[in-house]
Amino acid sequence: MASRDPDVDALLPLPPAVLHILIALGDGDKHGYAVMTEVAARTGGKVRMSPGTLYGSIRKMLDGGLIEEFSPRPREQADERRRYYRLTKFGRTVAAAEIARLTALLHHARLNGLAPGQG
Amino acid sequence: MSPQVPDLIVRAVLRLYPAAFRERFGDDLASVYRLARADAAIAGRRSVAQFWLGVAGDALVRAPGEHMRLTLNDLRHAARALRRSPVFALVAIATLTLGIGATTAIFSVVNAVAFQDLPAHEPGRLVRLWEKNDKLNIPRFSASVPNYVSWRERVKAFDQLGAWRSTSATITTGGDPQRVSRLEITSSVLPLLGVAPLSGRNLSADEDRPGGPHAVLLAETVWRNRFGASPDLLGQSIVLDGVAYSVVGIVRDRDLLLPFHVLTPLAPDLSKENRSNHMLTVIGRLRPGVTLAQAQREMDGIATQLGKEFPKDDADWGVTMATAYDWLVPETIRRSLYILLGAVMVVLLIACTNIANLTLARAALRRREQAVRLALGASRARVVQEVLTESTLLALIGGAGGLVMAYWLVPVFRTQLALLLPRADGIAIDGRVLVFALAVSVITGLLFGAIPAVLNSRRDVVDALKDGGRNSGGRQEGFARRALVVGQLALATVLVAGAALLVQSFMRLQRVDLGFRTDRLTVASIGLPQTRYPDHAAGWQFYTRAIDQLRGTAGIAAVGLSSGPPLAGNGTAMPVRTEGRSALGDKQLQADWRMVSPDYFAAMGIPLLRGRTFTSADRRGGGDVIVLSAGMAHRLWPDEDPIGRVILTGSPFRVIGVVGDVRNASQAVDPRPTMYLSATQYLWPTMTLVVRTATDIPVAEQLRKTVGGLDPQLAVYNIRPMDGLLQTSTAQPRLTAWLVGSFAVLALLLAGLGVYGVLAYLVTQRTREIGVRLALGARPSSVLRLVVAHSLRLSVAGVAIGTIAAVMLGPALESQLFAVKARDAVTLSSVAIALIAIATLASYLPARRATRLNPLAALRVE
Repeated sequence: MASRDPDVDALLPLPPAVLHILIALGDGDKHGYAVMTEVAARTGGKVRMSPGTLYGSIRKMLDGGLIEEFSPRPREQADERRRYYRLTKFGRTVAAAEIARLTALLHHARLNGLAPGQG
Repeated sequence: MSPQVPDLIVRAVLRLYPAAFRERFGDDLASVYRLARADAAIAGRRSVAQFWLGVAGDALVRAPGEHMRLTLNDLRHAARALRRSPVFALVAIATLTLGIGATTAIFSVVNAVAFQDLPAHEPGRLVRLWEKNDKLNIPRFSASVPNYVSWRERVKAFDQLGAWRSTSATITTGGDPQRVSRLEITSSVLPLLGVAPLSGRNLSADEDRPGGPHAVLLAETVWRNRFGASPDLLGQSIVLDGVAYSVVGIVRDRDLLLPFHVLTPLAPDLSKENRSNHMLTVIGRLRPGVTLAQAQREMDGIATQLGKEFPKDDADWGVTMATAYDWLVPETIRRSLYILLGAVMVVLLIACTNIANLTLARAALRRREQAVRLALGASRARVVQEVLTESTLLALIGGAGGLVMAYWLVPVFRTQLALLLPRADGIAIDGRVLVFALAVSVITGLLFGAIPAVLNSRRDVVDALKDGGRNSGGRQEGFARRALVVGQLALATVLVAGAALLVQSFMRLQRVDLGFRTDRLTVASIGLPQTRYPDHAAGWQFYTRAIDQLRGTAGIAAVGLSSGPPLAGNGTAMPVRTEGRSALGDKQLQADWRMVSPDYFAAMGIPLLRGRTFTSADRRGGGDVIVLSAGMAHRLWPDEDPIGRVILTGSPFRVIGVVGDVRNASQAVDPRPTMYLSATQYLWPTMTLVVRTATDIPVAEQLRKTVGGLDPQLAVYNIRPMDGLLQTSTAQPRLTAWLVGSFAVLALLLAGLGVYGVLAYLVTQRTREIGVRLALGARPSSVLRLVVAHSLRLSVAGVAIGTIAAVMLGPALESQLFAVKARDAVTLSSVAIALIAIATLASYLPARRATRLNPLAALRVE
């Protein structure tokens, strides 16, 4: 399903890692390791992103304006100079467009009797 | 394990990523790894192992991608930047195409001639052996058959020795009579070289014995061209010089190191050979682990021993040897090729400095952009890398163009150089040439990119931004530009000096008096087979008839006969003594000898200085007579009349005349003492007709008709105009002079452009200052002086450095020069003056522009 924004369309379909990161950041800002563990937990350990893949994707998403980084105020246990990432407005639009695309895809698959749980 | 160690390992692995990526994410990645490792440690040893595998695998998979992305980014950036300045891009690419193309093409020649292995098994162990005689000043001479046999019996340093004699034969089977080059080889030659016949077999030991069966091996081209590659030829007979030989095998043309058409057994017959008859080419294969020096020591001992055993023939004769490579690809040829390669690379270097200067000027325009990037946090390494990417991209495009140019030049070289250089038929663009072209392109790109790249990244960001994008260069940059021009002029001086020497040498070579007239002179060879011309009488009768018939032909002015005309490359020499008193005392003199007909001197235009030449009255058995060259006569009897004196070459020869000196070997070699025997008394198996025509008639056709009419089984071959021989004998110096000369012209042009560019830039840069001077009343002439003086300082510095370099490099050129010294003061100072003049000329346009500046406009520049 095409959105109206050519900038968004140019990015679709998203690589799986990027989509996972977008989803992981959907419910709040996280640092890199939190994104990794969340993705692993949410997929029941099936998707394990390596740190290289994670930061390769983060680099792409930063360059593409899907996410932005920020450093939170130093807290009590500021043992790490961690950077946190949050979705930008553009990132949310892209995520929504990708989910819409996948939903449409799922819809067509169901019509053709391919999707699981349809019998 | 110290707790820091895993961290250090992770840090080390992270170094695989590009610096920019590391700077951005390194700390985060390290912290993620630390957490992941902590989790793995809780889960158990297996998880820890998995963790480490993951770290390694991750970096190996991800890091190259990140590198690639940055490079592609840089390339895109560079391509965009070049599109924005198409003139710069075009000039740079065209210059690089020419430079890299010429360099690659010359390298392909050097590669084929000097770098390729010989087409033999383990060619490093192949050695050529000569006899030598220090007392007679004969450094290298063919070996005699008995000496070869003695060597073979005694030597231990060699696995095998083999020998051949180069002769020729007329083949009468399978078409018209054709003269072919024949090598009479020992049966050890092919196994020694490590080659097997294409089909059939090698000569057998039985065939290589006196009185053995007549067997022949054919060259593949003869088999294909004359016998249509017939597979049935093996076992059949072909006739060579009237004798039937059974074809036992076919051999690839390149397998014998030397060109040949047929191979027949040498079958050395010791009962008929003597030790002073030197005519064999001897090669050997060193035993594994034996060095050339060891073999030389052993052969020295054997030669000494033979000298004692056979004092009459072998006293004073020694053995000298060289690797087959040094024999076939002589040092002088390699050296002239390296000079060419050096010259063309100097041109490329000069081109590089020009492009570096252009890049500097461009970099000045982009300074602000780069300063902004630096201010925004781009690392200096990144900025350097970007500039280098752009220059490398340019160089690679130029390199691709250069390869196309080389592909186009290579076939031209292959045909043009075929007669000049050994192994020129192998000139091609092979893997090594491709790698060379790539390496030259990349190095070129780095060379002309490095200076601007480093200067730009070092620039003080604040200054550059404050500068407001004005194009004033920093002090460093001005220095860099001046240094480039000085370097360029120095390089050009070296190259132009070398070219001036080579061209002068070549011109002197051309003006050399050969001692005979080359115009309208044709030479042609004939070999009389011994089977049908068994003695001198039969041979001389044939030649007399041929000469008489030719002389009667309209358009032919004179005809002579010689066993070896000048410049044809076949020298014959032997030691002589004199009877009675002479300047020699009881020593010997190594003298060239030729057998010539009575009319030879007239036909060649060699002047008779004293006495008489031969006549038909000088009959065989009627007392041997001899004619000396002026040089030889002077050497023997400097103050006396040589006529009537006697020369001993074994038997006595009475001197009847003295003729002018002739340069027999080549223009570059001084006339050697030469003696002429009479063809009415002696004939060589192969003789050469020299025909002087009065008008332009088809000489070759006439020669074939006349000889064919006298004996249809004879072939006339090597029919060549003397002018052609002359051209061939000067072809190599001509080529070197011509190529280095054109490179020098190119270098002058490029260096002139370089000077022009820098001074034009200087004027632009100092427009304000010049404007102020003019506004304050400075005369235009003083402004002109300012610019020209600047140019003079640069050119004098460059030319001085170049002249010193030329003097130091002189000895490398010496071996290529004829009648001119490598450190010729006149040449070097003329070149220096010429270069300074050209540099001054190149500064004229910018200087004139400076004097015409409108002071008001100049002051408004900002």
